[in-house]
Amino acid sequence: MADQLYLENIDEFVTDQNKIVTYKWLSYTLGVHVNQAKQMLYDYVERKRKENSGAQLHVTYLVSGSLIQNGHSCHKVAVVREDKLEAVKSKLAVTASIHVYSIQKAMLKDSGPLFNTDYDILKSNLQNCSKFSAIHCAAAVPRAAVESSSSEKFEQSNLQVSSETPANNELTTNGHSPPTSKQIFQQPKGIMGMFASKAASKTQDANKETKTETKEVTNVFSTGNKAPGKGNVMSNFFGKAAMNKLKVNLDSEQAVKEEKIVEQPPVSVTEPKLAAPTGLKKSSKKAEPVKMQQKEKKRGKRVELSDDETKETENMKKKRRRIKLPESDSSEDEVIPDSPGDYEAESPSPPPPPPSPPPEPVPKTEPEPPSVKSSSGEKRKRKRVLKSKTFVDEEGCMVTEKVYESESCTDSEEELKMKTSSIHRPSTMTVKKEPKEERKGPKKGTAALGKANRQVSITGFFQRK
Amino acid sequence: MFSEQAAQRAHTLLSPPSANNATFARVPVSSYTNSSQPFRLGERSFSRQYAHIYATRLLQMRPFLVSRAKQRWGGGVQVKKLCELQPGEKCCVVGTLFKAMPLQPSILREISEEHNLLPQPPRSKYIHPDDELVLEDELQRIRLEGDVDASRLVTGTVLAVLGSARDSGKFVVEDHCFAELAPQKPAPPLDTDRFVLLVSGLGLGGGGGESLLGTQLLVDVVTGQLGDEGEQCSAAHVSRVILAGNLLSHNTQSRDSINKAKYLTKKTQAASVEAVRMLDEILLQLSASVPVDVMPGEFDPTNYTLPQQPLHPCMFPLATAYSTLQLVTNPYQATIDGVRFLGTSGQNVSDIFRYSSMEDHLEILEWTLRVRHISPTAPDTL
Repeated sequence: MADQLYLENIDEFVTDQNKIVTYKWLSYTLGVHVNQAKQMLYDYVERKRKENSGAQLHVTYLVSGSLIQNGHSCHKVAVVREDKLEAVKSKLAVTASIHVYSIQKAMLKDSGPLFNTDYDILKSNLQNCSKFSAIHCAAAVPRAAVESSSSEKFEQSNLQVSSETPANNELTTNGHSPPTSKQIFQQPKGIMGMFASKAASKTQDANKETKTETKEVTNVFSTGNKAPGKGNVMSNFFGKAAMNKLKVNLDSEQAVKEEKIVEQPPVSVTEPKLAAPTGLKKSSKKAEPVKMQQKEKKRGKRVELSDDETKETENMKKKRRRIKLPESDSSEDEVIPDSPGDYEAESPSPPPPPPSPPPEPVPKTEPEPPSVKSSSGEKRKRKRVLKSKTFVDEEGCMVTEKVYESESCTDSEEELKMKTSSIHRPSTMTVKKEPKEERKGPKKGTAALGKANRQVSITGFFQRK
Repeated sequence: MFSEQAAQRAHTLLSPPSANNATFARVPVSSYTNSSQPFRLGERSFSRQYAHIYATRLLQMRPFLVSRAKQRWGGGVQVKKLCELQPGEKCCVVGTLFKAMPLQPSILREISEEHNLLPQPPRSKYIHPDDELVLEDELQRIRLEGDVDASRLVTGTVLAVLGSARDSGKFVVEDHCFAELAPQKPAPPLDTDRFVLLVSGLGLGGGGGESLLGTQLLVDVVTGQLGDEGEQCSAAHVSRVILAGNLLSHNTQSRDSINKAKYLTKKTQAASVEAVRMLDEILLQLSASVPVDVMPGEFDPTNYTLPQQPLHPCMFPLATAYSTLQLVTNPYQATIDGVRFLGTSGQNVSDIFRYSSMEDHLEILEWTLRVRHISPTAPDTL
């Protein structure tokens, strides 16, 4: 019954599915010891040949034994076709073993397909490749099974060195190591060494590589359903660009791997633990987004995006504020529709209306209020303005100081700016150009301010003409 | 011996399946100590001078050589330093050898490429009849002549020469000797037969198009899947596998990406990535069944100069799950089951081959034992 079953199976594989049945493939597929698989194959061949002498079966055998070659005896192991079997056997001094290696319907030209069959079945059974083998090694126990309980301890102890959060993450996922093995302590140190190097981009890339590599290791330690969450954890340190890539890798690896152990709660638990003992700023900052983003990737994405966005706009605002402070262009600014808030924040230019005698040319030009302004001076707000005040101090020197004053917009507008902008007040003038022209102002100094501001942009030339 | 042992059991596999299939337990490692700590580099500093290496070498070898010289030429021979030499007086001098080879590739000549001079083509041997030997000790150096075969010796050997100094400033050698072998400790007796498998030159990533069936067969034999019961039983006696270098093939070393334009190489991976992946799978199969030591070789992704540091475990994510996998340095020393193994991946032997007239690699290996130095040419040309 059971005997007949395997015969039928082999028959089906060989004749119907046209597969190459190697002993290894059979052993994995039927879940039997390799020796038994070999015997099964032999049995099948014999029976088939007895029943049907015209059977279209090609068989390869494995022969091994000692061979005298160049005066040295060596142990030779060879896969030979049936027709060459006897020839090879006779060459060997001592024949150690012969058995059926594979059965297939068609004649094989080279060893490629044989190897590929074995390779494929091996790939899908990587974790227990020795299960059906004849030799069992007591020492060869995969670390994950042995050391998962002590993983948290090691994560903590391994966290001392690195200052970068990617390294920390590496440690948490790779920290499953037995105490006695030097090699594993080398591993975090090695990764540490990688991160100690200054090239941030390099470590980022190396990080990515090792991440995708160690994904396979970490997948042994994570469950399938936690994959998106895990991708999240990793993604924090990589940014959005790499996130998709990682997720894809993650998913494909999940499909391949069979074991599902140690799932994410330990990892997430350790993350906050991470924050506490190490006390690193970055890690503590990241720990919060990690907690936030455990649920869904999308949500995490959004959160991250919004974080980044706010940061960006803040920076922009800051920039604008800084640049616009010295000059005020409220009339033009008000016409431009976007970010009205900026205009409010933006202070009128520093040109002071100095009542003092103007030996300096700049202050002279500044106090004149342009006519254009009056038309657009709807907004009246009091705000603090950086203005330059010119006065004569004790020693009789003219001093110009920039002083914060509280003024209303309309009054303290910059005349220079106004003049130039009145000349070329293109409708195309956007907010972006504002910072540009205003940036030029303070840089070149108040003397040159007027001239610099004539050119709003590179195309300013053409517009005038 | 392996085969005979294997052949002793009855052939059972050409028969209908039987219910009982023997599984053999791998011989447990009775004792293993890894003594290659001296080869691990702490921090890498590239500002060290080689003079210190040679000085230390001479200092350590001097007592051995002196005792050996006395043994050979009688106790009465005078051992002198070069600065104490008197012309015409017969004495023995201990020092480091330097061979001045006109054909030796030198960095200065490589720089001359910039001036459009032809670089020296790589040769298999750089020896020349005009090579000269110079003996150096801590303070001085002196030219050697006479009964010493310049073609066989290489730079960096420490030896003792017996002879006398001439007025012309050269030393005429009558005889020379090396430190020879140190006294051996007897190996402890073993209870069962144990084998250590040395594998080298796997050459993965060769891109030759041939399949890896040969390598796979090897792995299958060692892990006990191939072969009859006898063979599997014998394979179970293999207590350790040492992969000694050149795991990746020479082809993975191509540096095309440096020469090609960026847009051509943007999406391509280095060939070694694929090769390392294959290596990882092979190591996984092996380490699931037998303790493995992996040594880097000439074409492997680690530092180039000796001592080569172990390959990084993150390259083998699958295989490092097993504690039986050990990544070790290039000169590798360990005591396995009572027998002390010391080995390299061969770069030292090929280097000596290039700079001396010795042809047989085994002979060179024996010679390094006699000189008591694995790699005398090391800081100079290796």
